[in-house]
Amino acid sequence: MNLKNISTSVPKKDHKGKVSGQLPYISDVKVENMVYGVLYRSPIAYGKIISIQLPTLPEGYEAVGAEHIPGPNYVKIIKEDQPIFANEWVNYIGEPILMLTGKDLDILYSLLNEVKVEFEEHQAIYTLDEAIKQKSVSSVLANYEFGESLENISAIEQGAHQIIEEEYDTGYQEHVYLEPQGMLAVYKDDEIIVQGSMQCLYYIKNALLSALACGDDEVRVVQSPTGGGFGGKEDYPSMMACHVAVAARAVKKSVMLVFDRSEDMLVTTKRHPAKLKYRTALDKEGNILSMCVDIFLDGGANVGLSSVVLQRALINSAGVYKIPHFHAKGYVLKTNTVPNGAFRGFGAPQSFAGIESHIGHLSKLAKIDPLEYKRKYLVKQGDPTITKGKFRDPILVEEMIEDVLNVSEYKKKKEDFQRLNQQNQRYKKGIGTSLFLHGCGFTGSGERDHIKATVKLVKSKDDQVSLKISNSDMGQGILTTLCKIVAKELDLPFEDILYPYPDTKEVPDSGPTVASRTTMIVGKLLERAAKKLKNQWQTGVEQEIVEHYVHREMIPWDEKTFTGDAYPAYSWGVNIVEVEVDTLTGNIKLEKVYGNYEVGKVIDERIMKGQIDGGLAQGLAYGYLEKMTSKQGRIQQKSISDYGPPTSLDVVSIESKVFDNPYADGPYGAKGAGELTLIGGAPAVQAAIEDALQTSFQQIPITPEVIIESLWMKEGEEG
Amino acid sequence: MVEKITAYRFERLDETLSQLNREDCAIIAGGTDVMVLHKSRRGVPPKIPKPIVFINHLSELKQVYQHHKDLHIGACCTYSELLENPLIPFALKNAIKTIAAPAIRNRGTLGGNICNASPAGDMLPLLYVYNAKLLLRSVNGNRMVTISDFIQGPRRVQRFHNEIVTEIILPSVLEDSHVVFEKVGNRNADSIAKVSFAGSIRISKDRIDDIRFAFGAVGPTIVRSVDIEKKLVGKTIPLDGADIAAIGSAFDKIIRPIDDQRSTAAYRKTVALHLLRYFLSMKQYQPN
Repeated sequence: MNLKNISTSVPKKDHKGKVSGQLPYISDVKVENMVYGVLYRSPIAYGKIISIQLPTLPEGYEAVGAEHIPGPNYVKIIKEDQPIFANEWVNYIGEPILMLTGKDLDILYSLLNEVKVEFEEHQAIYTLDEAIKQKSVSSVLANYEFGESLENISAIEQGAHQIIEEEYDTGYQEHVYLEPQGMLAVYKDDEIIVQGSMQCLYYIKNALLSALACGDDEVRVVQSPTGGGFGGKEDYPSMMACHVAVAARAVKKSVMLVFDRSEDMLVTTKRHPAKLKYRTALDKEGNILSMCVDIFLDGGANVGLSSVVLQRALINSAGVYKIPHFHAKGYVLKTNTVPNGAFRGFGAPQSFAGIESHIGHLSKLAKIDPLEYKRKYLVKQGDPTITKGKFRDPILVEEMIEDVLNVSEYKKKKEDFQRLNQQNQRYKKGIGTSLFLHGCGFTGSGERDHIKATVKLVKSKDDQVSLKISNSDMGQGILTTLCKIVAKELDLPFEDILYPYPDTKEVPDSGPTVASRTTMIVGKLLERAAKKLKNQWQTGVEQEIVEHYVHREMIPWDEKTFTGDAYPAYSWGVNIVEVEVDTLTGNIKLEKVYGNYEVGKVIDERIMKGQIDGGLAQGLAYGYLEKMTSKQGRIQQKSISDYGPPTSLDVVSIESKVFDNPYADGPYGAKGAGELTLIGGAPAVQAAIEDALQTSFQQIPITPEVIIESLWMKEGEEG
Repeated sequence: MVEKITAYRFERLDETLSQLNREDCAIIAGGTDVMVLHKSRRGVPPKIPKPIVFINHLSELKQVYQHHKDLHIGACCTYSELLENPLIPFALKNAIKTIAAPAIRNRGTLGGNICNASPAGDMLPLLYVYNAKLLLRSVNGNRMVTISDFIQGPRRVQRFHNEIVTEIILPSVLEDSHVVFEKVGNRNADSIAKVSFAGSIRISKDRIDDIRFAFGAVGPTIVRSVDIEKKLVGKTIPLDGADIAAIGSAFDKIIRPIDDQRSTAAYRKTVALHLLRYFLSMKQYQPN
């Protein structure tokens, strides 16, 4: 199929394998001389390991622990604070202490029950609130502060008509990728091959080089077909890779480690619970004079990627608004709970839920329709960002709003719902909006300083072109979209471009598959490489083209002062959500969802629709449906039905539209799209619930329990 | 390691009953509860400690028929089969539609839902309201027991190991009654009830002839009180506020839910009472 318009959908590269069920995921793989690994995990939240007593192990069964790690005992991510196998202190329930390996899982599970570890238990910190209360030097894992000086803000507040303070809480979110985490280390005398479900091949490779203290050619990372990631397979797989690789080295066999759903839900990373505090000075008409935002993220037991998550949360703390005199600071605090990590949106969903809620509440004070109030503050092309960067490119949000207002008949519905709600005592309808953006690519100078992406195109003698990059298709469709870009550039049929599952032996480091960077950054490099290949094309000759990332310098990012252009480009979105709330049960029924987006240029319409529908389902659920709690350091929901992600009966028809606004540094103008689509869901659903019930909430998820408490229990209604 | 499992699958009910008389077995109808109950960790098959007897294929257990005014439902009718059957009352079908998802409904059976005796069993509140009786059969003969006597507590039922529940009998099927069922779950499919409510009311000449209600997932077994129901018999519709309040506070005293990973005790109780009051406050009731 030759591509006239890049956006026209094509069958996905992996369509047949997935639909037929033939594509083998990691848990389907069996190799020679393979044993299984199972992990002994800490049963306590915080304490010192005194002794470890192993049962007598039958022949072929072995124990692997910290003493078997050739290199330093930490998972290389950013800081050296996450042990591969905890051997001195344990910091959360579920922290791995040792692995047992052997052929039979049944025997391994019973041996696991006989492992005896003695601990000296210490007082743990279980919640973000406790951590905030005790905020000591040791519990702050990261912090940043920026914006207008507090003296100036204090002076403005002195002259203000009113100061509004709000506290807002967001909960955990679990990725619920369809395929739980799994990793296999294939043992060979001169090489360990680690394969599994993953987003970031070179993160894993670097972690393995450190843990195994080995040479570059002694370890190799291969991606298996990956059944969903959502960020959950950004950082966590590095730890599992260390476990299986260390074990394979120790027992000289191939080692497979696969989680079932409950283990995955109990011990893998989640979205950071957050507390956001707003302090806003208003004039008599309700106009904003100044705003201070404090953000606290629950990092869990170690920092992992939390500092970077906090950066994105802070950079998005003013939403899509130009707020006069803005100040923000943020902290990641340590608690003795499961470490929190990357999750689609990466700190931004917390911030957008918070700021959209706050601005919505301010609009009520000003007695202006929330959307009208928000539009007064909307950033425009040329405006500065809150970090003194600049919104360089055209911003289409006004057009997007106008369009969705018409399509949804927003004004008419608002009136209709008010009338209907007066007639119906039990069911109340509401409509809410959200405005949001997503900074595409790594925060700050990450692409230039840390990632330095390289891509390669290889043409064989028979003129077959293959993509050699380290990015993972985890369901988001890059096997298809990136091949389309190369095919179009080379004017070849899309089916003729190959993109085998990446293997670090074959592919250069084109960076991790995160941050909505793949299409924009890697896609652009591939577009350039393809252009070059086309110019140099020699039929019947092997050719290789390599392209390196080139940074377009704007206002340089300075992490210390938290100033400069945090992102090269932004994608934008507007959501409108209609709900019906059952005031007797607090249950929320989604009735209709609208989304308008601007992502530069769509590379494949159907794949974009997949991102929109899936991102919205996940984002809406974050606002009202999915609920995860931790009690005394233990995650309470260990099954999908207890956690409650949306089923097909919970998602309604989503009417969406994507606006063209090509971006010069993206392939065919494309920017990032994957994370954007999640961000607007929760704030829009909150606004709709508030509209239905004519009340305010200070948290997500707004579960039926929260609604019933706010509607009835506070009034002491009983009998 | 290969484990041997003994499993029986007889062609006829009497053979099955003979085997059950010889040996204590785990009975599997649809398996949707038994398999979950005995689930092992990943990669290891479920461990069922007794020999297994499959009964879901037995035609004796799959009949649905009307006898006099009673509706007899074979214990091994799957939910999907009941949804298709014209004899099954509309209210019961509504409850069935809230159960899990089609794949589970193709396997799960009404008898299984009863014998699993979960406090959150989706069919139970309505069966209590229908005054369902269960026919149990063994080599020694038949016996009949009411559902409220049969279910003793979570996963505890009054069944001897040589017996099978063969039929669920709904006496006189509440023909002239208005019957409701409401399930409150955390989502619209594949969810376990946080609270559920079933109610029925029969009215003649604006007076209540018969009224029943039952609550699920708010205690170790379904909560129903015939004594409280009696207080309303003979009252005129619409009920006045004081009567509704009195019934509400009577149930307030006997509903004792718990906090767990799915909801809170406070929520369960509040919502259970809301649904009760809503049912009692209706201006008119239509037989359905």
